[in-house]
Amino acid sequence: MAYALNRQFWRQAALALALLVPGLAQAAESAAVTSPRVTATLLSSREAVAPGERFQVALVQKIAPGWHTYWANPGDSGEPTRIAWTLSQGATAGEIQWPAPKAIPVEPLVNFGFEGTVLLPVEITVPAEAKIGERLTLQAAATWLVCEKICIPEEGTLTLDLPVAPAAIVAEAAQSRIEAARAALPAPAGFRGRLAAEGEALALTLPGLPAAATELRVFPLSDTLIDHAAAQEVRTADGATLVRLARSSAFKIAAGEIAGVLTYREGGLSRALTFAADVDPALVGAAAGPAAAPAVPRIPLPAAGADLTLWAALLFAFAGGLILNLMPCVLPVLFIKALGFAQLARASRSQVREQGLLFLTGVLVTFMALAGLVIALGAFGTSVGWGFQLQSPPLVIALAVVMTLIGLNLLGAFEIGTSAAGVGHGLAGRGGRLGAFMTGALAVVVATPCTAPFMGAAIGYAVTQPPALGLSVFLSLALGFALPVVALSFAPGLLRLLPKPGRWMLILKQAFAFPMFATAIWLIWVASVQAGPGGVLAALVAVLAAGFIVWLVGIARNSGRGRLASSLVALLIAVGAGWFVTQSAVPEVAQARAGDTETWSPERVAALQAEGRPVFVNFTAAWCITCLANERVALSRQEVKDAFAELKVVYLKADWTNRDSQIAFALAEQGRAGVPLYLFYPGHKGAQPEILPQLLTPDMVVTAATRAAGKEVRTATR
Amino acid sequence: MKANLTRQTFIAGLALAGFSLAAAPALAQSAARIGAPAPAFEAVDADGKTRKLSEFAGKTVILEWTNHDCPYVRKHYTSATMQTLQKDMAKEGVVWLSVISSPVGEQGHVDGARANELTRSRDAAPAAVLLDPNSKVARAYGATTTPHMYIIDGKGTLAYMGAIDDKPSASAASIEGAKSYVRQAVAELKAGKPVSEASTKAYGCAVKYAPVS
Repeated sequence: MAYALNRQFWRQAALALALLVPGLAQAAESAAVTSPRVTATLLSSREAVAPGERFQVALVQKIAPGWHTYWANPGDSGEPTRIAWTLSQGATAGEIQWPAPKAIPVEPLVNFGFEGTVLLPVEITVPAEAKIGERLTLQAAATWLVCEKICIPEEGTLTLDLPVAPAAIVAEAAQSRIEAARAALPAPAGFRGRLAAEGEALALTLPGLPAAATELRVFPLSDTLIDHAAAQEVRTADGATLVRLARSSAFKIAAGEIAGVLTYREGGLSRALTFAADVDPALVGAAAGPAAAPAVPRIPLPAAGADLTLWAALLFAFAGGLILNLMPCVLPVLFIKALGFAQLARASRSQVREQGLLFLTGVLVTFMALAGLVIALGAFGTSVGWGFQLQSPPLVIALAVVMTLIGLNLLGAFEIGTSAAGVGHGLAGRGGRLGAFMTGALAVVVATPCTAPFMGAAIGYAVTQPPALGLSVFLSLALGFALPVVALSFAPGLLRLLPKPGRWMLILKQAFAFPMFATAIWLIWVASVQAGPGGVLAALVAVLAAGFIVWLVGIARNSGRGRLASSLVALLIAVGAGWFVTQSAVPEVAQARAGDTETWSPERVAALQAEGRPVFVNFTAAWCITCLANERVALSRQEVKDAFAELKVVYLKADWTNRDSQIAFALAEQGRAGVPLYLFYPGHKGAQPEILPQLLTPDMVVTAATRAAGKEVRTATR
Repeated sequence: MKANLTRQTFIAGLALAGFSLAAAPALAQSAARIGAPAPAFEAVDADGKTRKLSEFAGKTVILEWTNHDCPYVRKHYTSATMQTLQKDMAKEGVVWLSVISSPVGEQGHVDGARANELTRSRDAAPAAVLLDPNSKVARAYGATTTPHMYIIDGKGTLAYMGAIDDKPSASAASIEGAKSYVRQAVAELKAGKPVSEASTKAYGCAVKYAPVS
């Protein structure tokens, strides 16, 4: 009744009122449609909507005990809930974002559905042309089947009438309910499965499930794939999980892929993932009966990397690549390259262009090689992610040596190359073609530790996609990364902006040696975290050996004698140092580094949530600059510490400095392939976490802490 | 031969009950398979007569799992599509057997008198209504829903199993324009053609099974 009054009130109120004073609250929940079995309402995360925005609504079904409604694939019997929308203002509604279903036994059958209270979120898009001051009417004609042992088809039309305002007004309570439901939606799996025949049955291979997963159950979207009630035998083979599924009596399969949801328990926590699996072509051939099978109903699930489209991922990757140029370890390399252009430009413009293109090639080849490796390893079920190359202490040490050598080179301690043209050019500024290519490669190698903002989500998207799509994201990243240097090589106008070459160049070049040394120090510190004192020793010995080798080779070259002998000695030292590094730099078990944090584990999170404690998890690694920056500017700030203490937040750290499949899996579950990742778990048993952005501010952390502790904060309006 | 195995595999399945949802393997291993001999059965009809599948040898037989209170069944009876189908099939010389597998105390359970009264009041035209209160026939065929349709050809081979039509909905509006899988299969059988869609996903209410004793 309150609703009817409100509606009346709003009808009479004209534009002025529609221009909204916060607090003039419009009901964010429709009138209910009620039966003795289900009370259904339409819940809106907005009290007022803004033109051009997208927001979430949810069909809420409060289901009486003993009764259930159905998932997209209802199982042996039943029918999924459906919504037919009528929207004003040209608004559009997305598909139902299905929560993970439960297998509900109706012996000897099994239904897939929901018990208790379920929220079915749907995204509404308001067109940019929506007229401020008018109303947005959302009418959901919903039908659902509710069953105990007996089944009752029910339906109801649920209507919401929201004002269109210049700025959206968030309905906080509704928004937090809907967002909690969306946070609990199945997350995209960080792997692709494979479905093949296994005699009369089917075998679903899942390469990325943790070994600790129990109570695994496969819910395919198609209702003609498996026998829903049959036991699903789980075994492991070659590190992958294999599920044996009995075929449906109405078995039908199309070429391509199947999709569905996996539910399991790990460390006392219920988990759900959306997955896709490639269908063995042999299976399709065998299943194609006498005539064309009717199309399997395709019900869209949130795709992998749920909120990221391919175009957005490409854009983010491109922007991330651009930003990588500014990283302290990359900038000197690129700047020297640019100076090289400036000098060359005097000689030949075409040569500069050629150098630019070779640099681009170096960047692309290296990026593609690294990305191919990540994707290939992922396909084989090895849990690696972006930045994984820094999880190997010998590689970290090798990078430290490279940084030191670049530094020495910039200082003029040695020259590379025998040609006279090489004078004044170092490794990065070298004029040769190979040099330009290698500069590109080097830039990529030194850039990998610095996962720039935007890149996390894009790379997470990339590794969950089919290889071709994944590679295209990496390609976009590489193009963004190479853009500034290539643009410089093609735009002589830009080069002219640089001052004339002269003494300042030499000084600047030498000055740039120091960021390189600083990077080397940082890498040696990473090695110390990974491999302890032995790692530091190995790194310093490697640097010493490298320094000695370049000195030896330099002397031999200058004197023109004993080249062979010195080369042999250099080789010997290099091999010896390499052997020493691999022997002494053995990864140690990671320990929590900071005193006031605990080590993360899914079990610990579950236990703390059960105690009612909110939990903050910091997925970090010593080699991740963004992570360290966030720890410095936000997480270790006093106001954050105070807020954590006051709200009784437990701070857990998941340290991915060394390889750790459990952490890799937890990242994949959130659609990420690398660190940083920040999660805030509310202090209720089983509640899903909120994901914080990759760049933190103290305010952001404190606000999230307050939300997680259940103390409502007014959400900022857009 | 698979048919003879069913009971044993079912008991083995029960032994493994801890392994999965209790009696689940029973239906997973039901012997009803397209192209295989239809599982033999014996059941008492609404008039108290014992009927066997074998007595209809040489004729096409349709099994219709039903539960008169299930909304999906009601959709087909209130719109009279089910009765029309039964009468049309009778004209074709097809034997129509309605099967009621609900045990005592569950929705849809009826005795013979009530079954006959339902047939009269709904103007239905089955050759017989089989009472299966121990859900034995349902288990043999792996029936999951009401309605669930099975067609057995003159040689006793299972020719069709699945839905009655292609509109899995309880709404009366879904009747119009629905494609009848049963009509299609019977027409194809009559023309001596293979059944093009021999196995579809049945839809409706769950069959109420009697507990295994």
